[in-house]
Amino acid sequence: MIKKFNLQDFLMSYGFTIIFALVLIFFALGTENFLTINNILTVLANAAPWLVMATGLALVIMTGSIDISIGSILFLALALGNSLMLYRGLPVAIGIPLVFLIGALLGSLNGLLIVVVGINPLITTMGMMFALRGLALWLTSGLVQNIPPALQQFGRIGLFKEFIILTAAVILVLVHLLVTRTTFGRHVMAIGNNAEVAARLGVRVKRVRFLTYVMSGLMVCVGGTLQIMQISNVHPRLGQGYEFTAIAAAVVGGISLFGGEGSIIPGLVMGGLTLVIVENGLTHLGVSPYVYPFVRGGIIFLAMYADAMKSRVMARVHVTKDEELTTASA
Amino acid sequence: MSAVGLRMVNIQKSFPGIQALKGVDLEAYAGEALAVIGANGAGKSTLMNVLGGVLRPDSGEIYIHDEPAEIHSPLDAARYGIAFVHQEMAMLPTLTIAENMFISTFPTQAGLIDYRTTNEQSAQALARLGCDFPPGTRVSHLSPGDRQIVEIARGLLIHPKIIIFDEPTSSLTRREKARLFDVIAGLKTEGVTVIYITHFLDEVFSVCERAYVLRNGETVGGGMIKDLTYQGIVQMMIGAKEVTSYFGQKADQAGELALKVEGLTRSGVLQDIGFELHKGEVLGLWGLLGSGRTELLRAIIGLDPIDNGKIMVRDHGNLKPIQPKDAMNWIGMLTENRRDEGLLLPMSVKSNISLANLRGLVTNFWPLVNAGLETTLAEKFVNRLAIKTSGLNQPVATLSGGNQQKVVVGRWLERNPTIFFMDEPMRGLDVGAKAEIRTIITELAQSGTAVLVVSSEIEEIMSVSNRYLVMHRGRITGELPGTADKDELVAAAAGNR
Amino acid sequence: MSTAQKSDTHSIAEGGRRGRVITRDRILAILPIAILLVVLVILGISTPNFMTTRNIVNVLEQSSALALLAVGMTAVLVGGGIDLSLPANLALAGVVGALFMRGGGNPFVAALIMIASGTLVGAVNGYSVAYFRMIPFVVTLAVQFIAVGAATWLTESVSIANLPMSFVNTVQFRLSRMPVHVLMVAFLTLVFYVLFRYSFFGRWLYAVGINARAARISGVPAQRVIFGTYAFAGMTAGLAAVITVGRLMSASALMAGENAVLDVISSAVVGGVSIYGGVGNPLGAALGALLITLISNSMNMLRVSYYLTLVLKGVFIIVFIWLNSLRRK
Repeated sequence: MIKKFNLQDFLMSYGFTIIFALVLIFFALGTENFLTINNILTVLANAAPWLVMATGLALVIMTGSIDISIGSILFLALALGNSLMLYRGLPVAIGIPLVFLIGALLGSLNGLLIVVVGINPLITTMGMMFALRGLALWLTSGLVQNIPPALQQFGRIGLFKEFIILTAAVILVLVHLLVTRTTFGRHVMAIGNNAEVAARLGVRVKRVRFLTYVMSGLMVCVGGTLQIMQISNVHPRLGQGYEFTAIAAAVVGGISLFGGEGSIIPGLVMGGLTLVIVENGLTHLGVSPYVYPFVRGGIIFLAMYADAMKSRVMARVHVTKDEELTTASA
Repeated sequence: MSAVGLRMVNIQKSFPGIQALKGVDLEAYAGEALAVIGANGAGKSTLMNVLGGVLRPDSGEIYIHDEPAEIHSPLDAARYGIAFVHQEMAMLPTLTIAENMFISTFPTQAGLIDYRTTNEQSAQALARLGCDFPPGTRVSHLSPGDRQIVEIARGLLIHPKIIIFDEPTSSLTRREKARLFDVIAGLKTEGVTVIYITHFLDEVFSVCERAYVLRNGETVGGGMIKDLTYQGIVQMMIGAKEVTSYFGQKADQAGELALKVEGLTRSGVLQDIGFELHKGEVLGLWGLLGSGRTELLRAIIGLDPIDNGKIMVRDHGNLKPIQPKDAMNWIGMLTENRRDEGLLLPMSVKSNISLANLRGLVTNFWPLVNAGLETTLAEKFVNRLAIKTSGLNQPVATLSGGNQQKVVVGRWLERNPTIFFMDEPMRGLDVGAKAEIRTIITELAQSGTAVLVVSSEIEEIMSVSNRYLVMHRGRITGELPGTADKDELVAAAAGNR
Repeated sequence: MSTAQKSDTHSIAEGGRRGRVITRDRILAILPIAILLVVLVILGISTPNFMTTRNIVNVLEQSSALALLAVGMTAVLVGGGIDLSLPANLALAGVVGALFMRGGGNPFVAALIMIASGTLVGAVNGYSVAYFRMIPFVVTLAVQFIAVGAATWLTESVSIANLPMSFVNTVQFRLSRMPVHVLMVAFLTLVFYVLFRYSFFGRWLYAVGINARAARISGVPAQRVIFGTYAFAGMTAGLAAVITVGRLMSASALMAGENAVLDVISSAVVGGVSIYGGVGNPLGAALGALLITLISNSMNMLRVSYYLTLVLKGVFIIVFIWLNSLRRK
């Protein structure tokens, strides 16, 4: 018997959209200048790179695993690529794809250690987080690097914000399609549901998991490049804490850390936008910036709590109550 | 005369230390359903895993429609047209029905999944079973019975010649069961060979044409259903050996009431359970697998939730109602899987025994466990229960099964529980260890403890019980005195047919 | 009487029952320490002034706060969880206490406040993990955010200096060259070691870490135990805050140190604590902290780039965790 519309299920699946809407309404009503075109564009352009960066990590989380090294992967890839472009005259047209490639390679290193060798994902990516950052810092001697003039100029063209938003939107749609309409994407979800059952059903678990780590490294560099064009330099704190922002966006957007749940669109997008809007809105309200960490931490906490509650409810045995269990005939 | 769809000849399979299959022969006919019956550990699962390609037999042959078959992997099994509907369904809850069915065989177009075709084919597969679930429904929204239909539909995708159902009705409602039987009837008319593994005998009689009974890795009997009786089958299942009389007299020793349960219900699992347990008696909770005995014990001591019911224990002379979560203050529990839930394997014998009593071993102001007291405690039980160990510090993982069991018993004994639950206390033990446990149980009762023993082996339960309670499908269906003989017990377990 | 071995399928000896001295498990257990000792020897040889009293005291002094945190982390790890918020907790506790002192409060009370603050934050972690069943790493992550945010907010990004000399002097007091806080940490470590191994709640803790289900069935209050580990860790963070603020003579949100978490976990792992639970003790973790500090210190003296030290530490922990996971198989 298929269950008809169930309030609980609806809330669990779309709660984050509701939250997003509430947050939006709250700030739109409560502040001036919030809903202006300019502000909206700023917010979106701000959020766009973050969303792109988080897509790869979202895939990892959907399989039920974790990666906290993406910030450092970005930093190292950018540091390397940028150095080559600045000091060795590597043309930007090769430099940018090279950055992406390095990101993918570093991601595959994670994949190797975690999936092939079988080391704990949390600690492995933690170790990588520090090791890669240290390497990048050593390479740049802890100094700030400018990005090549060509890129800088690109960042100053008119309609730059629109460009960023559009590019990000295209990428997000593509990743969304990857998750929902390709075999790979369905396998990602399958593994997050139950890796053993998935394996029994013919899913190549190790291979898929390995690829999610590659994607994680790759996408953080794609998104990071979008962001670097806005910032114009590679600085020692680049990437610091990015993984946690990405995880926050995922969790708030309904992507469960237990795996097997969630979506890019609307999930990750809503989650990321909620976070950005909250901070943007708080600025408009004139709230002290010191409050942001509280708010963000609080939001993550609530989202995690909801996630934990969800997984407990779902785990209960499904027994329809309108029929009794068969008994020995009376 | 129908063709022989499947023939398994002299299948043998052993694991380190145990021979699971000692040469099983089996014949199943196309267009018929064959029941494979047996208690836990009889070898049913091993046999089916051989057929399903999960395990390779040590020797023996398999013929499918008279063609020899080499099955080395689940993929091979599928290629030979063998479909397996497992007991724990292989479902991915957050994916849709169609996705579950085609997870490794999606039809694609330009790299993207062709959902239209996928959904159409799923709908067709479901329609064959008389189901109209929308293929885009999330599996998590389906009841276990519905999921099973999806699993069967998935199995049918390969147009199987043979389909194996492993304990298919454990979580089905009456309606869903009827639907399942319709499906099986339909499969039979299409000439599929159906293999039906179960321990629910009423189903065997309504669904199958033939039956084989397995016990201890061998076929002990079988034949056409119309030639068999319930009693006959149960007798074969639990062994026709004469029960030797090395257990003492079992005069009813009804001391005062120690535990009283009323109206205990857990939706879908237990229904309106009520019974009494007296000091000094051993109550045998008897019934076939799946009757809910383990669930009952776990519900009483709070390991599983309950929806309704009253539990009363004797405390300081009066019967007082208690909450399941406090039950362990009065009730000791030996779970049926000592390795998972009973023992802390890497820890020593001494630590395992003292685990439930640590507070009592603290002597002075410091919260330190008094090592001397702990050793004395452990020694006491090692001696009393004759636990064979090279030393109190031996890791419990390396003890034999019987001694492991005694460690868990010892742990609870120190708390002097008024009531002791034992779930399959003699499972997996050799003859000598069983005798020792038996003695322990009898002595416990004689010293005034109220003991409730669950067992699926008739000899075991007869050897200790003063009285029997019979369960069937989550209900108490009868009570028998200690003087009941084997036939009466067998009949009661079979549901009094 | 017993033909025990035959039909008991699981009774076959698992690992070393027959008393072989060299077993795979033993090698894997020793390996991390062996690696470290080798590294240490190399460092010892190549570093000038390595074995001087001054250097040794210096290292001990630098490692005391870390050792405390490592001890706290041990409790959480043994119970099967993880706590990423300890350094941030330390920072917040330090800030709270320092503000109290700046407002004219009694230094002794300030120390108590620091400890209380740490324990409170730890309790929040513990409650969320034990009773709400939230995932430890994310909960402690969120709490870490909030704690750093709170510390930054309270100090308005300015470090609090000019603390009462009585406070600073007490913490920095030396008994013939050995700082008192080092002695205190050493003492506490021993006390905790004894408690972990020999107290009844220590036993409960290991039981929960090894097999929470079996522990629960045996009457161990698993939820309370897990809650307790996080609260305990928070308390050690508070204590460590007293030491750190006293040594630095100031308090700021930056005391959290971005790399501190790595050091804390490394100390525990190097010290033999398993991240999977059930294995490890505070003494090992404290010694681990000592070793980690020693290595950092030597790297420093050898003028190795701080950055490369980070790389080394990152690689180190991956290797150690790998060895840890090999042992489990």
